[in-house]
Amino acid sequence: MIEYSEKERRMVLKLVYYGPALSGKTTNLLQLHEQLTRQGRGELMVLDTTGDRTIYFDLLPFFLTAPSGLKIKVKAYTVPGQVCHDATRKAVLQRADGVAFIADSKPGETESNFASFDNLERNLAQTGLDIDTLPLVIQFNKRDLPDCLAEEEIRSAWGPTGIPVLMASALRGVGVTETFAALAGLVYDRVDTRFDLAGGHGLSREEFVRQLTTVHDDNGEGE
Amino acid sequence: MTATGDGLTYLVGAERNLRELLLDSDVLPLLQGVLAAGAAGARLVDEYGAELWSVRDPGGGGEQLSDLPLLLEGEQVARIQVSGEREGLEACAELLRVALDTVLRNSLKRVLTTEIHTTVVNSSYQELLKTNGELALSEARYRELAGNLELRVKERTAELRRAQTHILQQEKMAAIGQLAAGVAHEINNPLGFITSNLHTLQKYVGRFTAMLQFYRDHLSLDLPVETVSAEGDRKWRELKLPIALADVGDLLSQSLSGAERVSRIVADLKGFSHVDDAGEMPVDLNAELERTLSVLSHQLRDNAEVNRELQALPTITCQPQLAGQIFLNIIQNVLCHGGAHPKITLSSCCDGERIRISIADNGPGIPAAIRSQIFEPFFTTRPVGSGTGMGLAVVYEAVLRMGGTIAVADAPGGGADFIITIPTGKD
Repeated sequence: MIEYSEKERRMVLKLVYYGPALSGKTTNLLQLHEQLTRQGRGELMVLDTTGDRTIYFDLLPFFLTAPSGLKIKVKAYTVPGQVCHDATRKAVLQRADGVAFIADSKPGETESNFASFDNLERNLAQTGLDIDTLPLVIQFNKRDLPDCLAEEEIRSAWGPTGIPVLMASALRGVGVTETFAALAGLVYDRVDTRFDLAGGHGLSREEFVRQLTTVHDDNGEGE
Repeated sequence: MTATGDGLTYLVGAERNLRELLLDSDVLPLLQGVLAAGAAGARLVDEYGAELWSVRDPGGGGEQLSDLPLLLEGEQVARIQVSGEREGLEACAELLRVALDTVLRNSLKRVLTTEIHTTVVNSSYQELLKTNGELALSEARYRELAGNLELRVKERTAELRRAQTHILQQEKMAAIGQLAAGVAHEINNPLGFITSNLHTLQKYVGRFTAMLQFYRDHLSLDLPVETVSAEGDRKWRELKLPIALADVGDLLSQSLSGAERVSRIVADLKGFSHVDDAGEMPVDLNAELERTLSVLSHQLRDNAEVNRELQALPTITCQPQLAGQIFLNIIQNVLCHGGAHPKITLSSCCDGERIRISIADNGPGIPAAIRSQIFEPFFTTRPVGSGTGMGLAVVYEAVLRMGGTIAVADAPGGGADFIITIPTGKD
C-alpha cells in the first residue's frame, strides 16, 4: 500500500500490470480507460516511450469513496516488459497491493511467459512481497489470434497454481474489465482484513468492485 | 520517498502535492498574463480555500468571475479563481486553466521520469558494483587456486619422480640380490668339494708323516736293511698309502680347477657389475651379453637353450653396467614368461651407425594390446605381489640413457622379440 491516513481519511492502493514484453499490458490500461465511466477514474498518463514500447510505466488512477467518507485512490501501473528494464520493473513493483500478470497466448511465447513469471517471483521476493499472499490474477491475452494456445492447455498448466486465470482479447476490449474486477475483488479481501472496509467503512466487496468497474452506458460516450 | 534494502529510495506512486510540482516561475507569469488581459486578480487556492499563488491589480476591483478546478492525476488539488469587470475574462480564465493543467501534467511526467530514471541508474550501478565485487573476489579465488594448483602439481610430480627413482633403484638392487643368490650357489658348489678334498688331503698328510717318522725311527736303530724293508712294507700297507698316493693327484687337480672356477665367477661378476668402473668406457656389447649369460648360467643351464647369432660389433662408449641391466632383465623376463624350456636366440649386428641386438624367444609372445604398456613402471601381468612391474622399466631407462630405443615385436616362430637399437656414435 502506498499510503493510508486515518486522519485525512485517505487510502492509496497500487495495482501492477506485469508480464512479458508485448503481451498487452498498456493495451489493458488503454481499454480500461476507454470502457470505464469517467466518473471514478482519472486520466491515463503514459510516460515517454520508444517506438510505442513502454520504457518507464503507464498510470491510470481510479477513485471511490466509502460510505464512511474514506477516499480510496487506486493507481494501476504497467511495467516495461522487456528483459533489460528489470530495475524499472522492480521499482514499479514496490509496495504493490495486487498484480495482474498479462500472459501472451501465442504458442511461441510460452517460454517468455514462464521466464517473466519467474522474474515476477524473484522481484516480489526482492521487494519484500510474498507471492503466496499477494492478490494475483493471470490474464491470457490475444485470444483473438487464430493459432493461440488452447484454453484447456493453459488451464492444465496454470490451474494447479491456484491463481485465477482469465481469457482476454485486450485489443478488442474483451476480458479486460473482468480481469480488473477479479484483481480488485482479491485486493478488497486483503485490505478488508486489515482495515475492516465492510464493518468500519460500510464498503462491501461488491460495491468496491462495482465502483471501480462501472462501464459506459450502451448509448453514450458517457463523458 | 522510502528507504528499502536494495537501495531504492523512491516509491513509484507516492502522492505529490502541488507545491512539489509547480514553481513560482511556472505559475506567476501565467497569472500576470491574465492580469495583462484585463483581470483585476487571479489566484490559486487549495482544496481548503487557502491561497497558494495570487496576483492582484492594485487599482482593480470587481467580483470573482471564474472558479475552475485544477486536477492532478484526476483529483482536484486546487481552484483557479479570476476576478475583474471586463467581459470575456471567463475565456481568459479557461485559457489559464488549460495552461496550468498542461504545465502541471508535464511537470509531473518530468518529475516521475527523472526520479525513476535516477532510481534505476542508481540501482543498476549498485548492482554493477556488487557484481564487480563478486567477480573480483572470484577472480582472486581462482588466481589463488591456479597458483596453488601449479605448486601442488609440481610437488606431486617431484614426489612421484622420487618414488619412481627409489623403486627403480630397489629393482636394480633386487635384480642384483637375485643374481647374488645364484652366484652364491655357483661358488658354493666348487667350494664344497675343495673343502672336502682338503679334509681328505689333511688325513693323507697325517699318514705320510707317520710313514716318514717310522723310517726315521728304524734307521736310527741300525737294524738290518731287510728287517727295515719288511717292517716298512707292512707299515705302508697298514697306512693304506697306495690308495692315498693314487688319490692325491686327482684331489689336487680337482681342487685347483674348483678354485679357478670360483675366481672365474668372481671375475665375471665383477665384470658384469663393473664395480671398479665408475664412468663411461669402451664397451663391446657382445662381451656384455656373454657376461650376462655366464652370471645367469646356473639358471639357464638346465632350463633353457641359448642360440647365438652374434656378429662382431664396434665398441661403443657408455657405462658398461647399463648393458648388463638391459640384458639381465630381458633374459630374466624370458625365463619368467617364456615357458618351461624356452629357446632363446640372441643376435647382434651393426650397420655402422647403429647396433641392433635382438633377444627372441619361442614363448607365448606379448599381446599387441599391452605392448605399449610393458615398459611403463609398475606394469606387470604377474599376480599382485609376485612381480614389481619394474624390470622392463629398468631396461627402458637404461636404453634411454644409452641414447637408444627398444621395441618389442613377434619373433619369427612365435614368441617375443625384444629389439634394442643403440647408436654407435660414429655417424
